[in-house]
Amino acid sequence: MSINLSSEALVRVEELKNYYPSKKSAVMPLLQLVQEELGKISEEGILWVAEQVEMSPVHVRELVTFYSMYTTKERGQYHFQVCRTLSCAVMGEGSKKICQAIEKRCDVKEKAVSANGLWSFEQVECLGSCGTGPMCEINDTYFENLTTEKITEIINLIEQEKPDLKFSTKKDALGSGLKNYSPSAVYTKE
Amino acid sequence: MKILLKGIEFDDNVSVAGYQSRGGYESFRKALSMSPDSVVDEVKKSGLRGRGGAGFPTGIKWSFFIPRKTEKPIYLIINADESEPGTFKDRLIMERNPHLLLEGILCGAWALQAQKTFIYIRGEYAYPYTVMKQAIKECYEKGLLGQNILGSGFSHDVIIHRGAGAYICGEETALMNSLEGKKGQPRLKPPFPAGYGLYGMPTNINNVETICNIPFIVQNGGDAYFKIGVEKSSGTKLISASGHIKKPGIYEVEMGYPLLDFINNECGGMLEGRKIKCIIPGGSSTPVMTGEELVGVNLDYESMRLAGSSLGCAGFMVLDDTADMVEVLLNLTKFYAHESCGQCTPCREGGHWIEKIVQRIADGQGRPEDIALIQSVCGQIAGHTICAFGDTMVMPYQSILKKFASEFEAKISLNPNSLVAKSKRLAVLQENQL
Amino acid sequence: MNEQNLDLITLTIDDLEVSVPKGTVIIEAAKQVHAKIPHYCYHKSLSIVGNCRMCQVEVEGAPKLMIACHTQVQPGMKVRTHQTSDKVREAQASTLEMILINHPLDCTVCDQAGHCKLQDYHFEYNAQPSRFIETKVSKVKAEPLGPTVMLDAERCIMCTRCIRFCDEVTKTSELGMVNRGDRSMISINPGKELNNPFSGNVVDLCPVGALTHKQWRFNTRIWYTKQVDTICTGCSTGCSVKLAIRDNQVVHVKSRPNSATKQDWLCDEGRYGFHRFIPKHHLKDASVKQQVVSIADALNNLEALKSNDTAFLLAPDLFLEDFYLVKKFRESFAPEAQVAVAYRGRSLTELEKILISPDYAANFRSAQYLGLISDNPESDYQTLLNKIYNQEIKNLVLVGDRAIDLQDLNSEIVSAITKLSLSVAIIADADSALRTTCNVVLPSRSVYQKAGLMISNKLRLQYSERLLDFDFSTHPHWRYFEMLASKFGKSITLAKEDREMTLALLAEINADPSDLNTNLRLVRKQGLEIAFQ
Repeated sequence: MSINLSSEALVRVEELKNYYPSKKSAVMPLLQLVQEELGKISEEGILWVAEQVEMSPVHVRELVTFYSMYTTKERGQYHFQVCRTLSCAVMGEGSKKICQAIEKRCDVKEKAVSANGLWSFEQVECLGSCGTGPMCEINDTYFENLTTEKITEIINLIEQEKPDLKFSTKKDALGSGLKNYSPSAVYTKE
Repeated sequence: MKILLKGIEFDDNVSVAGYQSRGGYESFRKALSMSPDSVVDEVKKSGLRGRGGAGFPTGIKWSFFIPRKTEKPIYLIINADESEPGTFKDRLIMERNPHLLLEGILCGAWALQAQKTFIYIRGEYAYPYTVMKQAIKECYEKGLLGQNILGSGFSHDVIIHRGAGAYICGEETALMNSLEGKKGQPRLKPPFPAGYGLYGMPTNINNVETICNIPFIVQNGGDAYFKIGVEKSSGTKLISASGHIKKPGIYEVEMGYPLLDFINNECGGMLEGRKIKCIIPGGSSTPVMTGEELVGVNLDYESMRLAGSSLGCAGFMVLDDTADMVEVLLNLTKFYAHESCGQCTPCREGGHWIEKIVQRIADGQGRPEDIALIQSVCGQIAGHTICAFGDTMVMPYQSILKKFASEFEAKISLNPNSLVAKSKRLAVLQENQL
Repeated sequence: MNEQNLDLITLTIDDLEVSVPKGTVIIEAAKQVHAKIPHYCYHKSLSIVGNCRMCQVEVEGAPKLMIACHTQVQPGMKVRTHQTSDKVREAQASTLEMILINHPLDCTVCDQAGHCKLQDYHFEYNAQPSRFIETKVSKVKAEPLGPTVMLDAERCIMCTRCIRFCDEVTKTSELGMVNRGDRSMISINPGKELNNPFSGNVVDLCPVGALTHKQWRFNTRIWYTKQVDTICTGCSTGCSVKLAIRDNQVVHVKSRPNSATKQDWLCDEGRYGFHRFIPKHHLKDASVKQQVVSIADALNNLEALKSNDTAFLLAPDLFLEDFYLVKKFRESFAPEAQVAVAYRGRSLTELEKILISPDYAANFRSAQYLGLISDNPESDYQTLLNKIYNQEIKNLVLVGDRAIDLQDLNSEIVSAITKLSLSVAIIADADSALRTTCNVVLPSRSVYQKAGLMISNKLRLQYSERLLDFDFSTHPHWRYFEMLASKFGKSITLAKEDREMTLALLAEINADPSDLNTNLRLVRKQGLEIAFQ
């Protein structure tokens, strides 16, 4: 089974396979890598990863469906994951309002991709940002202490700046963010 | 008293140089001059208890590795899969104090004579991961990790692994399965990880916050640490505060600090004009405490236990009088139903069953018998599953239903189809006829 | 035994004392005091996962109920099962309620109904109406997993036995559990099928109706069938099976775990091919040169068999009884006669080797046991075929439908047989080519129409039960030799039916002939290991 991976990714694949005491442990980062390269984990992706780590394809499939960060469907270029768990639901305007603001601003329904392919959005469980709720993870970058105004502004800025916001398993680093936004608000100097 | 948050205000704390300028890695140097057994002894003396939620004494956990057997390598796992709703403390440590964690790991690895450390960090923590990764890289460059560390002859490797979105991977054996490339489903015990853990090797697993206490203990001695806090809960604790308070955030307090003082001082009190209704003190998996129950309660394991709840991992969620407890319960049931790994029957089926009942009540279709039914289903889940997920899931459910039963009853009585509503209508009808 | 005694652990289960080897799990220990602990996910030949929570027991001193499938016995342990503990009964009832909340309860159309552990246990341990009034989760129904097995995901209780079978026994790993929580579902990877030589076992393993045999779906309700314990006659492994029979037809085949051989599985060829030894048309009449005659008349033509120029070619699925009388007959009337069994070997894949024997000869060991053939049955067979071909013998007796293997039944051998001075076929299949080839044809019974003993590859004496009705105008194979011998003036057995013959043989084989019926029961149940003299 072969899939189209960049040469940079292929180098990383070999690194990851040798990173752990057992090759099988590389299955999760490899899935992340495939998702990053192909935008989703396709059937071919599952077979390819299974081959790389010498696992049965169905057991790789189990992982893809078990862990919520993997997707087998295409997402928008910017994927919003709004935390819906307790703190985010009750703090400030509450996560529901944030969701509504995203739906309205981006003209996108939950678990769907907008017509222009830019946006997709879903509600997820606690993202470990309870003190700075409501919050939303766009691609792999956190945006915290949200209000409906602020999320709208963020979306406007994304449209202008076109930041990356993704974590790259290939580069093992977080891509570019919005200019005036820190990737974390968990610590603020008083 | 700052043990865990020491130095986080400095931006250069994430570099070895910055961290060392404030005394960093001195504890590790000291540990290397001590025998591994005596490090374990100091940790035992300190009375440090695991900060991941269970509160098991760390020194005792470590002493499972003494006498030392050498046939198999020993592994240390750092549980950074912080997913408990209400908890975000480990994230702060990893983002602002990564070298404290690494120094803790090194001290622990020396004490356990561990060959490798695995940091399992939740997948969504992309930014903390990059900070940690950078710190690990620098440690290798500076000779603080790898072969023959600081010329001591001791070698150690740190492997950092990203999760991919599963709350259950915070359970230690599920974490190990996940790390081995399997589904994150808890294992049956025995065998226990200390004998047969990751890749079948003897494995010790500690929470991020727990291991971060070790450098202080090594530096100042177990006795000095034991003096901080109260008798059965020594040291300081990071409290993640969120909800209807003025200043949500992470605060390091000495164990035994009065709970109400914490809310009023550190958290800045409730939002303007609001009254406290209840708190879920230890992350969502602990029993809820009403405002009245908070009086005289202190932030330590014993006091919280006596008050009928648990300090857990100290994810404080404070709710005020605007909170609709039916919605709160619904929110939590959705979380647990979504996160159940699906292995054991009671948790897999029961969790969703309760979610559906609560959803029905919230939708105005509740029946008076539903409250007793949920309680009964909770009883059927707790104690009947492989891991503690089932037990912890029902803690908030049972306490919310018990302490806020009137809110549920009120909601149910609004159901036009409910017997209560029907009998009320009937009574009105009969009265009118009379 | 003595060595094991050193490691025996004594505990009580429901106040009854029991001693079992160290390392035994409670669920196995309980079998010794006849306390059946209900379970779904546990299977003694698979790894332990402890996920169904049905086997919970109370262990004195333990804070919560323990699962009997995973908890190992400890000295002095006090275990209470549902028989003596209310707590356990409650837990079991509650587990059943949980298991059933998302179960479709479509027993009326489910093949498993009547042999379903959900029904059985619900009746035994709960029998309460459900309190669940919400909408059930819907999942795929009637999804083919491969050529042999269908999945109904809604009925599945996620015990993962089928997954573990494919991971641990066949190591083919076709099945997995996708999704999590109550959306979990058994699945295959698209493009791959559950298609290994043992795939049918997952249906046996499935405690509910989630996995069913494609071949036998909706064919009958199990309670209309007669269930018979017997063995498979496909190869010389001789697996224990349980058959369901209705209207003189095999309608379901299950593997029957044999505690003595520790063999729990059955290959697909044996299971789904059970019909292959049943003739489409049964031979009812004897014939001489294709003219129908009475059996007595047919036997009148066989005087020539009393000669050392006679050869016997025997089917590999004859019973020990048949071989025995062939031996007796030969000793009396043709002591130098050639004998061979139609033995065909086969090459096996590594996977097939875990169960299947490298032959298509279920009972060649019996012929060996009686000294009829040598250690190398294949060369015996080839030698005799050559002799037939070269006309080195005069008379040939073909016993059984497979006396000549289908692959060897080429035109050369057939024409060689027709050139012999006398050829006799004792067969059951009316469509057999032997019927037109041989001078004399005697109607017999197929392997399922008679009962008798077989010796497996691993030298286990087993009993093959009569499954199907037979025509009274036919006789079992051995009976013809008995009849012929008496015609020739010698009595070689007094038996009149299969059972008498079997008991006589058991008396000869077994050291203790005092209680033959007990021995026969044992042979029927799990077989008896025998030694070759």
